[in-house]
Amino acid sequence: MSAPFGQLQWLRACYRALPHLGLFALLIAAWEVLVRTGVIASIMVPRPSSIGASIVELYFVKGTIWRHFFITLGEAVGGFLIGAAIAVALAIGSSLWEPFRRYVSPYAVVLNVTPGIALTPIIIAWFGFGMGSKMALAAIISFFPIFVNTLTGLTQPDTEREELFRSLGSSERQVFWMLRVPSALPLMFAGFKIGLTTALIGAVVAEFAQATEGVGVLMSRFSFQLNMGASIATLLSMTLIGLILFYSMEFLDDRTVFWRREERRAAASRNRARAWKRYAKLNSKSGSSI
Amino acid sequence: MPAPAMHGEGRNGVPLRTRRILMHAGIFLTLVLAWEIGARAGYLDPLFYPRPTAIVDSFIRIYITQGNIWRHLYVSLGLVFAGFAAGSILGIVLGSLVGFNALARRFVKPYVLVLEATPRIAVAPLLIAALGFGAQSKIAIIMLVCFFAPFINTLAGVVNVNEEKLELFNSLGASKFQILTKLVLPEAVPVIMAGERLALTASLSGVLVAEFIQRDQGIGSLILIYTRNLNMASAFACIFTLTVVGFLIFKGMEMLDRYIAFWNNETGMARVGAARKARWEN
Amino acid sequence: MATADSRVRDPVVGGNSVGKTFAGGTVVALENASFDIEKGSFVSLVGPSGCGKSTLLRLIAGLIEPTSGSLQVHGSKVSAPRQDVAMMFQRATLLEWRTAIENVLLPTEIQRRVTADDRNRAMELLQLVGLGEFAFSFPAQLSGGMQQRVALARLLQTGADVLLMDEPFGALDEFTRERLNIELLRIVGEVGATTIFVTHNIAEAIFLADKVYVMTPRPGRLAQVIDVPLARPRELAVQTSPEFNRLVEDARETLGAL
Repeated sequence: MSAPFGQLQWLRACYRALPHLGLFALLIAAWEVLVRTGVIASIMVPRPSSIGASIVELYFVKGTIWRHFFITLGEAVGGFLIGAAIAVALAIGSSLWEPFRRYVSPYAVVLNVTPGIALTPIIIAWFGFGMGSKMALAAIISFFPIFVNTLTGLTQPDTEREELFRSLGSSERQVFWMLRVPSALPLMFAGFKIGLTTALIGAVVAEFAQATEGVGVLMSRFSFQLNMGASIATLLSMTLIGLILFYSMEFLDDRTVFWRREERRAAASRNRARAWKRYAKLNSKSGSSI
Repeated sequence: MPAPAMHGEGRNGVPLRTRRILMHAGIFLTLVLAWEIGARAGYLDPLFYPRPTAIVDSFIRIYITQGNIWRHLYVSLGLVFAGFAAGSILGIVLGSLVGFNALARRFVKPYVLVLEATPRIAVAPLLIAALGFGAQSKIAIIMLVCFFAPFINTLAGVVNVNEEKLELFNSLGASKFQILTKLVLPEAVPVIMAGERLALTASLSGVLVAEFIQRDQGIGSLILIYTRNLNMASAFACIFTLTVVGFLIFKGMEMLDRYIAFWNNETGMARVGAARKARWEN
Repeated sequence: MATADSRVRDPVVGGNSVGKTFAGGTVVALENASFDIEKGSFVSLVGPSGCGKSTLLRLIAGLIEPTSGSLQVHGSKVSAPRQDVAMMFQRATLLEWRTAIENVLLPTEIQRRVTADDRNRAMELLQLVGLGEFAFSFPAQLSGGMQQRVALARLLQTGADVLLMDEPFGALDEFTRERLNIELLRIVGEVGATTIFVTHNIAEAIFLADKVYVMTPRPGRLAQVIDVPLARPRELAVQTSPEFNRLVEDARETLGAL
């Protein structure tokens, strides 16, 4: 697409966002007025302007939030990685070996119906007050959605394609890597997205229970000081972490499962055409030398 | 590959099903036994990793001899159902309103995206600060965590109505209201029920977090207090209780789903088909 | 061009240079279609995908509006879905949470309060399509062919005398489709309705119809009208007669000369 046309699209996007921004401004103004006139008690709901002031102070002037921000982000990501590694390993084991699936799945079900959050105090007793316990809780509660989605993805019946592979005399390993894994990827990524969100919940809840740093600590401290503006400003940092995590995974999903969207398909087919040409050129050169 | 067992008969004439149950039991007992022996032999610190027999003792104590868990269970489950009912009904109503109105959908979408990324449960301390200690702030927390799934699912169910069926209704000259009640809502029922299931699970987590923060009564505070006193066996007994509660909720919702969305299972269709035939003949 | 239509005696459905474009005029789905369809006759629209046959059907049903020209049913202009026209789709589009009989009653329910007469009529129609015993079965308990029969009964329950069918048996296997086609001829004959039937199968179109409209794509237009003088009631064996084959050849020639 040419540059001026691209700019035009930007303009159009801004134009489309205008009503949304207008509504947002209107809501904020109404909120401010309602609290200032005392219709809503400011102890329960802070004024938008006081939230704004807290945001400026926490994020920009003092910047106190960033250390906690990265600690919680690290806990969520670390916990997710541990949980996902165990979940994917167990799901692959279960998909390849039927008895394993039969005798492991009851425990997975038990783990699923138990609210993982209930383990918070025990996990803290086991792993201490530091980041370890937060990661452990995040890992435990992000385990199940990833396990279930990966197992479902790997074991979904696709008789026709499987028969095609068998008729070509392919080995189990080939069927696994060339058929099962690619067809499981969309579901696996769906599980990863849910798992990341729950990992963040695990980290924050563990911070509520017992911790010295992290946005959860900040959040409960401000709330108990009845500093509502600052608590909401802290809450927004959790939203920010959530958005970063979700959209990073969305990005990975989009690049890995490229065959789902036309734009990605086109990019992939361009790349492969180029690679093919390079390969052909290389071959013709070596061919002429023989 | 093992030879396929015919007619459920395994080796030595033992039915396959019995053999599998024995196998499950064997694995379970081995795990429990290993745990018990490990704890008794001193490999596991009994202060942090209670013996299975100690957990059984605690079960007997908190359920029978001391009997203190009942009150807490009653309080927590009462909150769960109150918050769940309020939150999920609100979710369904708002979801269908927003879903059916294209303009509302457009303006609500950015807020939904932001809310989706926020860990809703994190609002708990804020709500307790705003509403004060007591049941109302706990119910508010549960409402908040179980509002979202029914809302999103109802919205999706209403938006993703089957195009062909919609065309059929249009060709029959159906009104908007008829389309909503006769097509859109019934078709969204399975999706809405899936949202309800998620909501009920979330509300169990919600009550626990609320009780961790505001530890006056309820199963969450019980777990926290037992753990603080390093009475791990009792804490585990409470957690296994929650496993049972979670399982019952899971099964209960599954049954409810099969009952309400009867057209997705044979027994449901047989039941409702017979009932409608009887009504027709009257 | 469809010129043969001036000879129609008692037109029920008529079109006057009907055109329809999509995507702001960039896609011409149907161009300058003029036709008159005789009362009680069976007309097939046949052609490849993109020839505008489904568009024409939806225009007559009042589901979409023409960009140019006009359509009449029973002498009055079509501007919205109307009660004397009813449509049947490629898929049965039954509501899964309703029994067969309740699905048949749907059109009545949408129009007014259901009376005992309506209920009796619905049961009669289910018997007419051979599903009297399955009145209280749910769609998921019926085979694809049976589901389409329920959809046919529902179509007749509307009481409309112009029936529009968009490849109604296209998703079924060949054997079921042939059997349902014969039943369809019997049933619409009994009811005396005017039928417009869309298909991409030339033999099916000729076998069923009194008149076949051959349509060609890009832009979609009515290319030829073929009269089918085969005697009724028709049996499957008619498809091997030289007369039938000549008609098929005729249509194929028009479609081949795109």
